[in-house]
Formats: sequence, C-alpha cells, structure tokens
Amino acid sequence: MKRIIIVLLLLSTGVFTNAQNRQNKPLKIIAIGAHPDDCDAKFGGTAALFAKMGHKVKFVSLTNGDAGHQSEGGGALGKRRRAEAQRAGEILGITYDVLDNHDAELIPTLQVRHQVIRKIREWDADIVLGLRPNDYHPDHRNAGVAVQDAAYLVIVPNVTPDTPPLKKNPVFLYMRDRFQKPYPFSKDIAVIIDDVVDQKIEALAAHDSQMFEWGPWTNGMKESEIPKGDDERLAWLKKRYASQKNWNKSDTDAIKKWYPNLDPANVNHVEFFEICEYGKQPSEEEIKQMFPMLGKK
Amino acid sequence: MTRKVFLYLLMSVILLSNVEIKAQNSIEKKLNIIVFGAHPDDCDNKIGGTAALFAEMGHHVKFVSVTNGDAGHFEKGGGALAKIRRAEANLAAKRLGIDAYTVLDNHDAELFPTLDVRHQIIREIRNWNADVVITHRPVDYHPDHRYTGVLVQDAAYLVIVPNVTPDTPPLEKNPVFLYLQDHFQKPYSFKPDIAVDITQSFNKKMDALDAHKSQFYEWLPWTSGKLSMVPKEIDKRREFLISIWSRSISPKVRKSLNKWYGNERGQAVKHAESFEICEYGKQPTDEEILKLFPMLNSKR
Repeated sequence: MKRIIIVLLLLSTGVFTNAQNRQNKPLKIIAIGAHPDDCDAKFGGTAALFAKMGHKVKFVSLTNGDAGHQSEGGGALGKRRRAEAQRAGEILGITYDVLDNHDAELIPTLQVRHQVIRKIREWDADIVLGLRPNDYHPDHRNAGVAVQDAAYLVIVPNVTPDTPPLKKNPVFLYMRDRFQKPYPFSKDIAVIIDDVVDQKIEALAAHDSQMFEWGPWTNGMKESEIPKGDDERLAWLKKRYASQKNWNKSDTDAIKKWYPNLDPANVNHVEFFEICEYGKQPSEEEIKQMFPMLGKK
Repeated sequence: MTRKVFLYLLMSVILLSNVEIKAQNSIEKKLNIIVFGAHPDDCDNKIGGTAALFAEMGHHVKFVSVTNGDAGHFEKGGGALAKIRRAEANLAAKRLGIDAYTVLDNHDAELFPTLDVRHQIIREIRNWNADVVITHRPVDYHPDHRYTGVLVQDAAYLVIVPNVTPDTPPLEKNPVFLYLQDHFQKPYSFKPDIAVDITQSFNKKMDALDAHKSQFYEWLPWTSGKLSMVPKEIDKRREFLISIWSRSISPKVRKSLNKWYGNERGQAVKHAESFEICEYGKQPTDEEILKLFPMLNSKR
C-alpha cells in the first residue's frame, strides 16, 4: 500500500511537472529576413506581443545590408546597420543577429543554408518565419529559398553535425508580400497589433539609414520632404508604414477567424502569416497555443 | 525705345524657339528596348516582328543572347560554332533593322544564375538606359531559358541600386519588365497582357530567322527528326520556315489584340507576338503601355 502511494505521488508530481512545463516554457520564435529591417517591417508588432508575454524572439538578417544606401556602402554601412538592428531589437524586446553575407548578393548556397540551419537549431525554434520565394528583391527570394531548404533538414543529424538537430520540425510561416504569381499570399493567420503599433514604428525608426535615407531615395523623394524632429519622424513613418487600413474580404475573413468576438471595423493594424507546407502542419488548436495573443486584443 | 522693342522681339524669338525645341524633344524621345534571350535566335523568334516595328519607328532595340550558342548543333560545336552564330545574329539584326545584337560569351547549355552573369545583365540594361526589358519566363523548356528568366528578374530593382556593380551608373528608375510568350502551364500559364499585330513585319521576322541558318535549317530540324524535310532550293525555304514558325493566335491572344486594336482590326490580325508584365519592374498603366508600345492602336 505504502509503495502504491509513493508510486501515485511520483506519478502525480510527474504529471504536474509536465503540465507546468508546458504552461511556463516560453515559446521560441525565429524570424529570418534578407536585410536588417525586413523582419521588423513584416513581423515587428507580433514579435513585440510575443516578447511582452515572456516568449523569446530572435530576428536574423541573412545579409549585412552593405548595399542599401545611395551614398554609403561596404563595411562602414554594414557596421551602421548592425547597430541600428541592435537598437531595434532592444525596442521590441528581442535579440537581433546580422550575418555577414553581402547585400544584393545572397544566393541560396549550401553555406547559407547551413548558417540558417544552425540558427534555427541553436534557437531551438518552435516557429520559423521567412519570406516567400517570390518577393520583389532577389535577396528576399533567395532568403525564402534558404529558409524553405532548412525545413525538415533541421531534424537530420547528419546535416551540419556540429549543431545537434531539433527533435521535431518546427512550424514554418511566411511573412506577407503583395505578389500574385505564381499564387497570392494566403492570410492563414492574422495578429492584431494595435497595442504595440507605436513600438513597431519606433523599431523601424531605429533603422535610420533605411527609413529616412535609402528608402525615400529609392522612391524619388527629396531630402526636404523628410522631417527632422524625432516626433515628426515617427508620425511620418507611421503614416507610411501603418496607415489605417480599409480591410478587404480576405482581410476581414482572417481577422474574424482568429478574433471572433471583435468587429474588424474597430481593428487598425494587423500582421498576416501564411503556413509553409514544408514544416509541421499545425492544427487550429496548435496555432492558438503558438500564438497565445490570438483572440485577445 | 527701338532697341527695347528689338530686344523684346529677340527675347521672344529665343524663348519661342526654345519651347519649340523642347516640345520636339519630348515628342521625339526615342524608346530604349532591350531583350534577353538565352541563345542567339531566341529573341528573333519571340519578338522579331515587334522589334522590326519599333525599329521602323526609330526606337532603339538591342537583342542580347546570354550564351554564345556553342552547343546548338549536331556536328559543329565550341568556339567555331559560336563564331558562326555570332555572325548569324549580326545578319539577323541587320535584317530586322535593330541597333545591336550582343552575344555574351557564356557557354550554351551551362548557364547558371550566378552573380557574375547577373552583373553582366545589370550592366547591359544600364548601358542601354532601358525603358523596357524583355526576357523568357523562368518556366520555359530549356534550363538556359529558365535561368535567363531568373537572371533578368534578379536584375529588376537592382538596376537602380548604386552599390551594385558600381562601375556602371545606376538607372534613375526601374524599367518595365516583360516576359516573352511560351506555352507552359505550370505553375501558371502565360498571360498575354500586351499583344502586338506583326502582320506587316512578319516577312522581316522570317528574314531574321533565315539568317540563323545553323539553327532553322540544320539544328532545329535535326532535333525534331525533320532534317530531310529541309528544302535544298533556297526559294522553297521560306515556305518551310513559315510552315513551322508562324505561331497560330490563341483565343487569349486574340482577346488581347481586340483590347489593344479594337475588335475589327483585332480579329483581322494574321500574326501576333504577345508579352506578359513581370511583377518585379515598374507596373505600367494601360496609358503607359500605349506610350511604350506606340505601334498599338489606341482607338479602342
């Protein structure tokens, strides 16, 4: 009898500890973009929400961004952009790695694939976010391919054996783009980021060289059109990157699916994600566990 | 007083003539079109008729073959074949009336979308100061065609970035990028956003194909087991060319012709070439397309 009680006690604590673990273990999320600022623009709000809830988020830029300026370049620009990324990471409450591959020269080689595999394994990722392989910049497309190519291989011990494999294939998601071919982005998951939109804009503003110099230059904007003061700049950026949306049907469908109690008309800022076919295919229940902010505003 | 009047008159004459010159310029601004094919003869076959029309209107057309075609024969090859094909390309350009036909020295059947080839293409586009860039879709049947499509896509946007191939000044704006027609259905079928009536320049196009003798009378018939069908007599060769290389007009292309030329002329078109707008370059409005393809009839 005594023995049975001990066994029962052991069992119950065991069960208890497991449940605890599942509840308290923070989620590990890794977002992989081509340039320092890509993840911020497409996932910054959701990342801030994860971080606020105590989950661990890492952004990785596969290139150092050393071509992204009209008058600066090379190592000097790479250094500036790495510092900007660090600042953006602090604002969002996440970590930010900038790899040293050259900007505008990213090719999905084995070496880059292995860099991606190591990053995903070292982060012990539950969720991996990447770009679709049909975004506008060749680096974006190639970054998308490199991340897709890491899906599945992250569990294969003989691949980059210097870094222990993951026990299970994570969920792979795509960040949003506007391209229609060969098929348009599918809004599988919608996250309302109204509460953290200012934090996201502040993180974007940390990428000074991009938001107030290179980006406007590529759009043919004059320097005089760009505000100088900090507050004016944030307001200007918010207008450009997070203007209030007129939701179309696919937007409202996605919002209603994940926030059934909310009227999409009262929602201002949303980030959308598409499920990649190459990672774990999550059920709706699993998505709710992996995105614990869903359903709550 | 007379001097004042004289000065006034002089000034107005100068001003007026200036205005006139400026107006002239904007009317006569010539378009720069550059077409990338994988092999010497690809551009001719897919856009030769439209290129001849551009050239007749005084616009500047350049064809670029990204490989030198040195694998495209059953008994010739290497540098010797490349030399023949470069000469054929030059003759074809002359017959079409286009400004230039550049044959790059990458090996045929070995093209990969590497950075060095991407940079060759960026330099070609910049040096031509292109308004329109046209190439294969990355889904065509030959790997060289597919990778040419990838390479040109990868040049879109980067042509405006000063830190990329800084030896050649960047373009001020991203050109319009278009795809040449193909019949492949996956992952999606070709979309004829623009269709050009080439009935009038069809003969010139056949003249250009005829210039690529090593291809249209030797290599291509050989690959389809039709070498014995090639006429020996020069004057019978035209009929042979037309029988194989005049493309029939699909319902989708006809619909596009009707859009750009009106139903009456659209229905009457005998020969056409069509193009799909690539998402990575400038996205033109219909008005802008009419400016970039001035042979299209705007009476809709």
